[in-house]
Amino acid sequence: MPFELRHGLAAQVDRDTAARQDFVSQLRGYILNDMAAAMRESYDKTVLPAFERTHGRAPRTQDEVHAAMRSNTSFKFYSSVRYNAQEMVWRSVMPTAQESLPKLEQTIRSLSGKSGGSLELDPALAIPENVAGLPVHLMPGGYAPSESPLAGAVYDHGLAVFSAGFMGRDLDDIGLSMSNYVKHRYPDFKPARILDCGATVGHNAAAWARTFPQAEVHAIDVSASTLTYGHGRAESLGVPVHFKQMDATSLKYPDSSFDVVFTSMFLHELSVRDIQKFFSEAHRVLRPGGMLINMELPPNRELGPYDQFYLDWDSYYNMEPYYRTFRDQNPEDLVEAGGFARADYFQFTVPQYSYMDEKDFVAAIHTQQRIDGDTGRLSASLQWFGFGAWKR
Amino acid sequence: MSAASESSAGRREAFFETDAIDQLVTMILEVATDHWVLRERVFVIEKAAEQLGIRLAEAVEAYKLSPEDQQLLATQRKALIENIMRSVNRQHRRTTPPNEQP
Repeated sequence: MPFELRHGLAAQVDRDTAARQDFVSQLRGYILNDMAAAMRESYDKTVLPAFERTHGRAPRTQDEVHAAMRSNTSFKFYSSVRYNAQEMVWRSVMPTAQESLPKLEQTIRSLSGKSGGSLELDPALAIPENVAGLPVHLMPGGYAPSESPLAGAVYDHGLAVFSAGFMGRDLDDIGLSMSNYVKHRYPDFKPARILDCGATVGHNAAAWARTFPQAEVHAIDVSASTLTYGHGRAESLGVPVHFKQMDATSLKYPDSSFDVVFTSMFLHELSVRDIQKFFSEAHRVLRPGGMLINMELPPNRELGPYDQFYLDWDSYYNMEPYYRTFRDQNPEDLVEAGGFARADYFQFTVPQYSYMDEKDFVAAIHTQQRIDGDTGRLSASLQWFGFGAWKR
Repeated sequence: MSAASESSAGRREAFFETDAIDQLVTMILEVATDHWVLRERVFVIEKAAEQLGIRLAEAVEAYKLSPEDQQLLATQRKALIENIMRSVNRQHRRTTPPNEQP
């Protein structure tokens, strides 16, 4: 299952590095499918019956499941191997990213402006503590150590290894699936300006620009590194995206200036207070008739205790301090606190656009999809979860 | 990549009763990865040689290592050992109470 990035910033790797990355990628696929299935089986056959014997009932919360699983050998191996694989993802891409940094910087300079996009950095922007102070996802150095595009390169190439082929040809399946959901579910809605917040390297912003080629797409993040890299990446793909260094909780855009505000895997990096600030800002910059749309892990209230426990693994062991806090929220409450009407809330699940015929995709989004343990989880039967609200 | 750069906290999660088991998992996975990298390379070498009409297997058996070869291999072996042992001197965060029975 070799997976090569095909844009202009893709690092050339030697055969041994490619073999190492393929191995780590396939190891992750094995962990998330085979080892996860074995752990679930061990829970059903051993841990759950033991819990029921002791308590006279099944676990009611993910904390009870987690506590019961800690001494289970299957959980220990799953967790230990998954934790190691996470480190190995970054170790498999870091040396090449460091070695090719001068060439990368030169390539970004030469590509800048070729496809009509732009880059605007704000050196005075204060980097929030949740980004500056943490190696989120165990990524060495974190996402915003400097303006050098190194962190962007490590993230992009690491994500290619990490995702084990589940995230689309340009790691853009979330953006493609969400944007095509909007396009086909609401055919009369024609967004002219789209804003991707917490966009990192712009892989999903580029997908929105492809789905809505007439729209002006902006992508913001607090990390100068990922934006600089993302700018070169989008330019090399021939997709115009306007990258701006900005904090989503304090947008520098005028009121009523966008038709879509989009996020992907972003909210779970924020405290609840910052999510509310961001949603208020999203409400302010949206035009009447505009849409807030977020791709995220499904809320815990939609899942049983075991699936809650399974998805919140990252919160405990992958340097994701707000992951569970976010998933414990009711997204309707969050949206309402941002100023949207509860009646205008929507949520949905969507299959992966990159891996099916458009006809089947369109048929699927018009039927009610169920939320289960495969929602938002990198596995063979993956579907994405989305929620948001219209601004009236 | 230095061990210290892998986490700002400088500690790794541990899931087994003793840190040693978690460290062994790391070692085994590193060995497995390098083992695979080598297997893939040997596979390609043999295939590429075959394309060139070279009977490589026989030539490999007949080859005598020079002192320079041996020095280079020693350096590479040391790097492999350091890579395998990278987790040994790291602190770990305990997630299982020491007396808890599996």
